Amino acid sequence: MHETSIVNSIMRTLVNEFDAEKLSRLKGIYVKVGILSNIEPRLLHNAYSAFHLTNPGYPDAELHIESTELKIQCEACNHITDVKNYRFICDVCQKPSKNVIQGEEMLIHKVEFND
Amino acid sequence: MSTIEKSTKAARGTAQCENTNINLLKANDYVADIIKNEMAKNGTLLINITSSAGSGKTTLMQKTAERLKDKLKMAVMVGDLETERDAARIRETGIQALQIVTGGICHLEAQMVHQVLDQFDLPSIDLLFIENVGNLVCPSSFDLGEDYRVTLMATTEGDDKPKKYPKMFLTSDMMLVSKSDLLPHLPFSVEAVVKDAKEVNHEIDVIQVSALTEEGIDQWCDWLLAKVKEKQTVSVNA
Repeated sequence: MHETSIVNSIMRTLVNEFDAEKLSRLKGIYVKVGILSNIEPRLLHNAYSAFHLTNPGYPDAELHIESTELKIQCEACNHITDVKNYRFICDVCQKPSKNVIQGEEMLIHKVEFND
Repeated sequence: MSTIEKSTKAARGTAQCENTNINLLKANDYVADIIKNEMAKNGTLLINITSSAGSGKTTLMQKTAERLKDKLKMAVMVGDLETERDAARIRETGIQALQIVTGGICHLEAQMVHQVLDQFDLPSIDLLFIENVGNLVCPSSFDLGEDYRVTLMATTEGDDKPKKYPKMFLTSDMMLVSKSDLLPHLPFSVEAVVKDAKEVNHEIDVIQVSALTEEGIDQWCDWLLAKVKEKQTVSVNA
């Protein structure tokens, strides 16, 4: 359910951002999803295929999904920590931090068009 | 359309790229900002209540309404996949409650909240609750323009939830450990659940509550009253 609304949201966003002529040449959609976004890449691919079954537009457009790991940057010492086991604590100074710098993304970060 | 067909087609020709970095929830966040402005204008405190299904959100709303209805004007909008049951239960306490039927959608989006907002007389409402769909996953991603997000964590659910559903606890301001009257009968450690929740979000506040014995209800209502006062002070000064 969730992944289906995400796909609809991606397609709606593209329609708002680009004109119809350009979209007819749509070749690739690159999305970045963080581990905290609750989006499962495999299910998103399935939802994207399902979208094409009922929407004849953009048959050549391929969806590329990049998953990003969770990173925090300490406000006290600026050290960047890879968050393991959801412990939001700086590796160096052991201070807790909510300053997530990677891993929350739900981004369309690149769109590719045929010439 | 299969994946294999797509990748052979993608191999020919050149392509132009546009780097976009568009947030997928841009549309939601745009509407959430409209809601935020509306609340600020009217000095209404908006609280988003989330939890798993069956952890006591509606019962907490009933109890809160009984306690606070003489002290302030409170209203509730409640999201569910189907039925009017929760809104009807809350209305029995004498406050305005509106049901949002999502028709199968597992979370509330800002657009759904905005659509029913004009059913409420906001200038006269001090405290508006959004009782979200019972689910610890999807509702965590959707900003509804709320001032605070409060997550209920019932003792019957088991004390391992904050690490299983980290995004919800990371984005919550308050965790209410509900159904605390059942603690003597359950293998549930309040200490363990608080430790996990604080490892995910060190700023999260915790109150242990029971709608049955009324444990923690005073503290919860005092917290709400303080936040309502804060919001109205900010709104008057703005």
